[in-house]
Amino acid sequence: MKRFFAIMIIIGALIGSAAVQADEWSDIKQTARGQTVYFNAWGGSDSINDYIRWSGNEVRKRYGVTVKHVKVTDIGDVVSRILAEKSAGRNSGGSVDLMWINGENFRAMKQNKLLFGPFTQKLPSYRFVDTVNKPTVLFDFTTPVEHMEAPWGMAQLVFMIDTARTTKHPTDMNDLLAFARKYPGRITYPAPPSFYGTTFVKQALLELAADRQALYRPVSQSDFDVVTAPLWKFLDALHPLMWRKGKNFTNGAPQMKQLLNDGEIFISLSFNPNDASHAIANGELPESVRTYVHRTGTIGNTHFVAIPFNSTGKEGAMVFANFLMSPEAQLKKAVPSTWGDPTVLAVDKLNAQDRAAFDKLPLGVATLSASELGRVITEPDASWVAALEKAWLNRYQR
Amino acid sequence: MRIRLTLPNRLSLFPIVTSTCFLSAILIGLFSTWTQAFGYMPSIGSNHFSLEPWTRLFTHPGFVNSLKATLVSGIGATLLSLSITFLLFAVSYQTRFWRILDQTLAPLLAIPHAAFAIGFMFLVSPSGWIMRLFSPGVTGFDIPPDWNITGDAWGISLMLVLVLKEVPFLVLMSLGGLGRLDVRGSLAVGRSLGYHRVLVWVKIILPQLYPRIRLSLFAILAYSLSVVDIAQIIGPTVPPTLAVQVFRWFNDPDLVSRLLGASGATLILLLVVIAIAILYLLELIVQCFLKRQVTSGNRHFCVLFPNLLSKLFIIAMVGISLTAITVLLIWSFTWRWRFPDLFPGSWSLRFWSKGLMQVQDPIWNTVKTGITASLLGVFLVIGCLENELRLKRAGIHTNTPTMLWLTYLPLLIPQIAFLFGVQVTLAAFRLDGHWPSLVWSHLLFVIPYVFLSLGPIYRSYDQRMTDVALTLCGSPWRVFYRIKLLILLKPILFAFAIGFSVSVAQYLPTLFMGAGRFDTITTEAVNLASGSDRRIVAVYALCQLLTPLLIFLSALLIPRFVFRNRREMQG
Amino acid sequence: MLKLQAVQIIQNGEPLFHPLSIDIKAGEIASIMGTSGCGKSTLLSAISGNLADVFSLEGDIQLNDQSVLPLPMEKRRIGILFQDDLLFPHMSIAENLAFALPQALPKSERQEKIVEALKQAGLPGFEKRDPGTLSGGQRARVSLLRSLLAEPRALLLDEPFSKLDQELKDQIRTFVFDTVRRMNIPALLVSHDIRDCPEGQVINLANQEGQDVR
Repeated sequence: MKRFFAIMIIIGALIGSAAVQADEWSDIKQTARGQTVYFNAWGGSDSINDYIRWSGNEVRKRYGVTVKHVKVTDIGDVVSRILAEKSAGRNSGGSVDLMWINGENFRAMKQNKLLFGPFTQKLPSYRFVDTVNKPTVLFDFTTPVEHMEAPWGMAQLVFMIDTARTTKHPTDMNDLLAFARKYPGRITYPAPPSFYGTTFVKQALLELAADRQALYRPVSQSDFDVVTAPLWKFLDALHPLMWRKGKNFTNGAPQMKQLLNDGEIFISLSFNPNDASHAIANGELPESVRTYVHRTGTIGNTHFVAIPFNSTGKEGAMVFANFLMSPEAQLKKAVPSTWGDPTVLAVDKLNAQDRAAFDKLPLGVATLSASELGRVITEPDASWVAALEKAWLNRYQR
Repeated sequence: MRIRLTLPNRLSLFPIVTSTCFLSAILIGLFSTWTQAFGYMPSIGSNHFSLEPWTRLFTHPGFVNSLKATLVSGIGATLLSLSITFLLFAVSYQTRFWRILDQTLAPLLAIPHAAFAIGFMFLVSPSGWIMRLFSPGVTGFDIPPDWNITGDAWGISLMLVLVLKEVPFLVLMSLGGLGRLDVRGSLAVGRSLGYHRVLVWVKIILPQLYPRIRLSLFAILAYSLSVVDIAQIIGPTVPPTLAVQVFRWFNDPDLVSRLLGASGATLILLLVVIAIAILYLLELIVQCFLKRQVTSGNRHFCVLFPNLLSKLFIIAMVGISLTAITVLLIWSFTWRWRFPDLFPGSWSLRFWSKGLMQVQDPIWNTVKTGITASLLGVFLVIGCLENELRLKRAGIHTNTPTMLWLTYLPLLIPQIAFLFGVQVTLAAFRLDGHWPSLVWSHLLFVIPYVFLSLGPIYRSYDQRMTDVALTLCGSPWRVFYRIKLLILLKPILFAFAIGFSVSVAQYLPTLFMGAGRFDTITTEAVNLASGSDRRIVAVYALCQLLTPLLIFLSALLIPRFVFRNRREMQG
Repeated sequence: MLKLQAVQIIQNGEPLFHPLSIDIKAGEIASIMGTSGCGKSTLLSAISGNLADVFSLEGDIQLNDQSVLPLPMEKRRIGILFQDDLLFPHMSIAENLAFALPQALPKSERQEKIVEALKQAGLPGFEKRDPGTLSGGQRARVSLLRSLLAEPRALLLDEPFSKLDQELKDQIRTFVFDTVRRMNIPALLVSHDIRDCPEGQVINLANQEGQDVR
């Protein structure tokens, strides 16, 4: 009898919780109606801005939620603003409702308890997310996500080369050095702390480090100088051979794309495997540009959206985050002519129609197939970011 | 007499309101920044004073080079602008050549710094239009050379952009200053005594002119040493100029960097103060030297070289501005354009049709804020000027130099040295991110420029017009708006347009006070310029340029149209 | 009748001139002579109500037996004519004149008055003209017309002819004096040139004790 009761209670609780969940979502939608969501996101890409505008219009039509894209140059300043708000005791009525974030910034916000959540488990679209084959949706730069941010897109470091200038692309970092000797002044990378620059430095370190495992532990547990010695040796050799002799750097991948189009440089990089195809379709790059990755694989990660603890429109933010994860929005995002950002969803979890649509997605002329993209290297522990940036500035910002 | 007291009393509110508007922001901002510069910022748990931010600042990687680029671009731009302006006046003033400058002055001023910097970059970078013009034909380049033209470590390209933008401003201010000098008379006397006209300028007129534009020069100095938006576009990168570095620290996710930013911002303020002191010293030395020169009777002078130089500079300034705008125009219609093609391989209207859809919101924000701020600015300034007039009639001595310094104050203190402090304070009271706060921050910079452009003309208004009108018609109000305001319509509208273009150009105040919630065409253009698609950047830059230009054009054309049949209201 | 009773203007405790008394009857044009800087223009601004606050006034100024001192300039209805015509450059001739007409007049009457006045001044059909296109003599005449259309109770003339050349001067002088007499209001002229003064009382501010010098 006791057991029966126990089972009944458990069943009851389960049914109840399911009902509560459905109820909760409709409550959220109800409350969200009429809210304005200030979505703070990097605004440096026109295509992405277009996509955010489209998504905002859709949620206004469907849920009555107004989305305002606050375009920022670096999400870091938003983190600092929220932290300042918290320090000033502003625990509600914050200026940010949703933000585009990952990695180091996520870790900082989680540590400082600046995030609202956990919330993604409440979002109906979350059940489609590929938590099996895409582990980075659960671990953001090794920091456990724990439903505190909603996966938005997948990123992998890829390189782009203009085959009209030269056909043979480097296959790893040492090869890149050889390439730079052959074509002096024609390669560059963005200066850290731009995240493109930091990613390039991390990629180089991952390829060159004697003990890669050290990078997956907090930096404090390793001998930083020993681990990074090969990296500095490599960069010391590379810089004099770089664009502007390594005295001047670009501020990010978009600027490198321009330089690639001008022929000032021969190789550019991107975090979006579809970027080259998108840029060709868009007239930004010539048709001769192709994508490639290094033989040993390249860094990949997931980018997310998160809700600050003092957001004014948390429900609206959740509704918008849910829409961004929906098969429909993810599909549109993956189309190379829109943005070409890979989906975070598991296509096999979708219904037949959506699955077919994903399968039919055109592969751009310069996009690598999944097998060509090769192995994804996961991001080092987030603590390495600050340490590497600091060391880089100390060595090269003189 | 007693009956009139009500009106003057209300008038005396204007300077109080206006100066409160300035001083409150500056004092709050400076105080907050200074305490943070010495490590005091309880909101981030740092509640004791220390020198640590300063030691960290001085030992920051690249600090010395950052300082070097800041000083070279800032002080270089100021001194070059002054020399060029003097050269232009001495050699070309009122010559046929001057007309080119005279007619392009307003549009040159209206071009926002950021749009100009973007266009300039498209023009002179190794893959820019000038290089394309000569490639591969003359140069033999079919890929752009690896030359460090923009973003050089010394900040030379930044300095050049600043000079090209500041000379028109200084020329305008000098024209205002010359208004009260008898240039024609001095030239006639000097030349009849056997001095070349350039020498008359150097020995007689420029020494009188300099004190009148001294404050404008200091404002240029403060601006050039602390500029962020242009330096982001065309300044050095590793390390960037001090102002850009400070801006980054203020935005760093690590809040302790804010203390570093505050000390950096305070250092910039110190640099400005020291540089102003040095300029004062230089002035004394030059004065001493000139005094001997003036009375030495030396009439020897070789005219060929400066003449050429001055003409070259006018051509270069107008030419570069025009071609920079042209290349922006071309990029905005480009589909594909590779080096070394002189013109795009394929064209497209797509970016305009897309851009025009996107800029609606930012342009609306820009126009709304600009018009409100300049209307308020013109209103307050006219009120202050009327009050000045009242005091003058009452025989109360107004301390003009003090007033002038007060007017210039927001222009002499680098924005970055106090705006962040203002934001921190506003945020504590939850006043940031509101539109009125944004307008207020713009007003801070609009008022001085409106004052500078309207003041001299407003003061030279023939008061007897009003007196006569008062004897003819009983209502002082009616006389004020039907006679005085209409006679002064042209300068008032011009001041309004200046105020508007100042508001449009504001980058830091918009970011800091608007909490990023108000996109203006400038914040958008600067954001995109830091690397995005050139074609869309060009569309934004052109929109940023067209907005104030249209207002300027209306300011010029409205009075011309309204008074088309009134000969004395022309010119 | 314009009456000045022991009028003195004081600056920094010093009077600018001896107490001045004068009665000017309607239709009469009195003159005040004096070198430049003796205070004659200041005197006119005191009468018109435009005295700068650095000065103070003693004595009384009466118009039609009522003191005008408590009234502000715009309520005194004392017209003033300067050596510059001060036509409003942004208005047509008709607009300049209309500005002076009392507001109470109906529109058609305003129009009529302007046409009539211009005709009398020998400027028929000048209504739509731009002041900038008129000759100096024409402008001077319009300026006087404008003062008179406001129906002043008295008229002050501040060296009104000094900028005109000799030939024009005679012509305008006659025009002004005739018009004032026809309007039948008291008028006061100040000048440094005795030849500008019409027949009637002339007082020299520099050496006066309040009596006629002629």
